Amino acid sequence: MNLRRTLAFTRRALLQFRHDRRTLAFVLLMPLLMILIFGYTFGGDVGNVKVEVANQDVGLAPALPQDLHMADNVIDNLNKNTLSIHNSSDPQEARQTVDKGNAWAAIIFPANFTATLIQNLNTSQVSARPVVEIYLDGSNPTIASAVIKTVSQAIQTTVGEIAAKLNVKSIEMPIAINQVYAYGGGDTKFIDYFAPGVISFAIMMVTTMITIILFVNERRDGTLQRLLASPASETEIVIGYALAFAVIGIIQSIVVLVAAILLFNITILGNVLLALLVVLLLAFGHQGLGILLSAGAKNELQAIQFIPLILFPSILLAGLFWPIESIPSYLQPLSFFIPLRYCIDAERSIMLRGWGLGEIWVDVAILVIFAILTLAGSVLLLKKRD
Amino acid sequence: MLVIETEKLTKKFGNFTAVDSVDLKVDKGEIYGLLGPNGSGKTTIIKMLCGLLRPTSGNIKLGQTVPSKAVMRKIGYMPQDTAVYLDNTVHENLFLFGEIGGLPKERLKEREQEMLEFVDLTDRRDAIVSTLSGGMRHRLSLACALIHEPSLLFLDEPTVGVDPELRATFWKYFEAMVKKEITVIITTHYMDEASHCSRVGLLRQGKIIAEGEPNDLKKRTGAESLEDAFLVLARRNKP
Repeated sequence: MNLRRTLAFTRRALLQFRHDRRTLAFVLLMPLLMILIFGYTFGGDVGNVKVEVANQDVGLAPALPQDLHMADNVIDNLNKNTLSIHNSSDPQEARQTVDKGNAWAAIIFPANFTATLIQNLNTSQVSARPVVEIYLDGSNPTIASAVIKTVSQAIQTTVGEIAAKLNVKSIEMPIAINQVYAYGGGDTKFIDYFAPGVISFAIMMVTTMITIILFVNERRDGTLQRLLASPASETEIVIGYALAFAVIGIIQSIVVLVAAILLFNITILGNVLLALLVVLLLAFGHQGLGILLSAGAKNELQAIQFIPLILFPSILLAGLFWPIESIPSYLQPLSFFIPLRYCIDAERSIMLRGWGLGEIWVDVAILVIFAILTLAGSVLLLKKRD
Repeated sequence: MLVIETEKLTKKFGNFTAVDSVDLKVDKGEIYGLLGPNGSGKTTIIKMLCGLLRPTSGNIKLGQTVPSKAVMRKIGYMPQDTAVYLDNTVHENLFLFGEIGGLPKERLKEREQEMLEFVDLTDRRDAIVSTLSGGMRHRLSLACALIHEPSLLFLDEPTVGVDPELRATFWKYFEAMVKKEITVIITTHYMDEASHCSRVGLLRQGKIIAEGEPNDLKKRTGAESLEDAFLVLARRNKP
């Protein structure tokens, strides 16, 4: 392999991008746009969920310094960013509002709420638990779990407040949840989880698309024939272009990372260079795949048809938006064949867990093999003469 | 000195025989014209000579060896399509083919200047190719085939879709090259062009049905033009 010839291809491809402003903009702005859109739309938790609150609690007066209306305290403690609360006097009416689809949930406190709660505090044995009814429209699981989470958080907070007020050191709750975080410390934002995926996905998408089209054009315009009848070897052609994409991939990753850090303050615990290296391996692999696929397309229109074929399985099966564990178990093995999966996995481990090569080497090895196979396949494809 | 020698060169695509036992001998400094209608096997022969297609049977010798990447250093190839990078500038195209052709840096600079003057694109050096006219792109394509100073040049239908004025210019270029002892193999289906060649081979259905100097072919058939000569010969060689 001759370095000068190899770099001649790299140079040519990069210069082409420099002249073609629109494509350059696509290459750089598309990942930026993705991180912005996803960051702002997916970025926060669920908010402004309409709920009806029907408070029937009569409270408890005797034997205590002041009247107790525990349900009021719980309601005060509900996160008002997550829930948009409308008070309702009648539980039945509140349920009907949910039935009609005008609210996601009705939160109903029974008349004996405070009484039962205090009773539980006084006796060591739990006889009857205070019950909060959440009448829920479960058609959207994300919203449903957000409502439940908000209510249980409010209850916990309230119980803690009582404990302080009554000077009781510990209160035994009917159910105690003890959350310990191995990673992320519980303040991991969705965007933290999402950014490594967006970087990987954006680079995969751009690399695949541009490579397919670049090579379809090489074939259509006859320039490939000219290269193959030149002293340049097939390996030099493939590696030369791969290096051009490496440069583009690095720039893309930096754009996305900087945007994610500045705008969303994402967490990067691990080594940024390692994160870049991993994403480049994915770019090399998908470039090889793009060259191979370009052989199956006669023109740009046919080339574009390959793109959803690669994108959709990658979006759905690689754990980009939701964990692989949430895919039906019989489909989960398919994700092993999606290279993006390993890249996202490795990027998340680097950025969120602070892992190094020692822990992510399996992902890296698979990406290396993928890149070698597709690039070697591309060389063989170009060498084909019949 | 023989530059090209083929022996029973044959190419089959499935059951179809595109090139059928062609024996070709081309001397240094010749302009050899492969003449024939569309589908007669001209392009297939050129592609085999450039190493783009593998012959089904038969041998090719370029100089002393078979076609290989090493020999390509001495070969220039202008494909049928314009085959230049439309999204790059004239300079970038020339530079790429000069670099992969292995010209030393300094020589490449001189050579680029020479080529720009040769095909009259000096003032378009920094223009993006897609903004150039078809004729200019064709001229650039020729310059790309020549920049690395090949001694053997394959031109596949270089004058198809080219206006008469440019065609005349192209032939002026080709004749100028031969003066520099470059051997040129050219395919065309314009019979009138063939009179510029030092020798022509008439191809029909993958076979060379006649070969010789243009005037000689006319004399042999008693025809007024090469076109008539071709028709006479084609009739004689009906399968």
